Amino acid sequence: MKISKLILSFILSTTLFAQVSFAQIASTEALGYGSSDTLSSKEKLAGILSREDVAKKFEELGVDVKIVEARVASMTDEEASIVANQIDTLPAGADVGMSIVGAIVFVFIVLLITDILGLTKVFNFTKPITN
Amino acid sequence: MKINFALLLALASLIFSTGCARNTPFPKDANVSSYSIDVPFVAPRSELCGSTSLEMLSSYWQSKGSYTPKLSLKELDERTLIPLKGGTLQIELIAAARANGLLVYPLEPNFDALFMELKANHPVIVLVNRGLSWYELWHYAPVSGYDAKTQTILMHFSEEPNEAVPIETFAAIWKRSGNWGVVLLPPDELPSSASPKKYLQSAYDLEKIGMVDEAIVAYKSALSRWPQDIPMLFALGNVYYSTNQISSAEERYREILLIDKTHPLALNNLADLLCHTDRAEEALRVIDTAETTDTKILSIINATRQEIIKGCTLH
Repeated sequence: MKISKLILSFILSTTLFAQVSFAQIASTEALGYGSSDTLSSKEKLAGILSREDVAKKFEELGVDVKIVEARVASMTDEEASIVANQIDTLPAGADVGMSIVGAIVFVFIVLLITDILGLTKVFNFTKPITN
Repeated sequence: MKINFALLLALASLIFSTGCARNTPFPKDANVSSYSIDVPFVAPRSELCGSTSLEMLSSYWQSKGSYTPKLSLKELDERTLIPLKGGTLQIELIAAARANGLLVYPLEPNFDALFMELKANHPVIVLVNRGLSWYELWHYAPVSGYDAKTQTILMHFSEEPNEAVPIETFAAIWKRSGNWGVVLLPPDELPSSASPKKYLQSAYDLEKIGMVDEAIVAYKSALSRWPQDIPMLFALGNVYYSTNQISSAEERYREILLIDKTHPLALNNLADLLCHTDRAEEALRVIDTAETTDTKILSIINATRQEIIKGCTLH
């Protein structure tokens, strides 16, 4: 919580600072790539709040508190809000060394066969049959 | 016996239904030749394929010349792994790559774009589902080439470098991630499959997270390919202005007005710049030529005019 408050105050202060010194500048976002969707202050606030959410969720998921701030800071507002809203369903690329101990026999056989057919690539010892 | 029968039936239907995945969209006939990129290999470590893939590409670009990674392998590990998810989110793979000083360009989700990048010696990190849609085993790996003779994709998939994966297998496991891939590049290098609009987004993302120097290099290299691209000139002008490189900013805004003398955003920012560099009269002339029907932009223009009239006291 402490960390996320830090982030919040940091971002708020930079946002405010930017607004004071460049009040009349049209930002690159104002291009809107054809339309006019500049970020309203409401959307900016949503971005800040989602960073706080992400930080909280990361801590719950075992991310080292010391690194949470840096991780959240390297995301854009859009990215932070996607992570905040969808973290439970987003895929997380893991690794090749799958433990088959936990996998039930059914899954094992299916994956073995699909591996051999070249539809999946789970086990390192299979070689797909291809023509 | 009953169970075995059910099992067989389930298997048969599964194989039958996924069989259509074999009609893959890769360019089978065309002049796809072989490509091989010498991406340094890093052995896999449990749950860290995201970080490992980033490391392999960073060392590749380091070996190519001017690029120096900003993060060590340990720092990449710390920035990508979510322990209780046992893996790395796509967004964090992207965020960590940017923090490492690389521009991240999202690959168009198809084989043409993949081969275009391989041809230009740009390795691509792909996300694949090694399992099935209902039994997901997500994995990141860098694609390092293609062997046209054996029709295999070369990638640092697992224990051995440049593992040859039959293209049909690759197509099947890649398709399950929606053909997701990213091109990671030092900012002075352009993706060969890039569009200016998407590239601007990637470069602007660098700027937004504070990698301003990298963003400037990226805008500039984009302008060497698309010299008349107004949004790119505008972005470069803005980043110069925000880092107090006033004359460079002014040049970019004026360049836009040479291409389109009515560009309201460029007129607005130029007027603001003139106002803050003691040229209020010219600023007023410039802002008075700015016209738009867009209410948001109009309110920015009006605010600028007000400020000029008040005497440009800020700054």
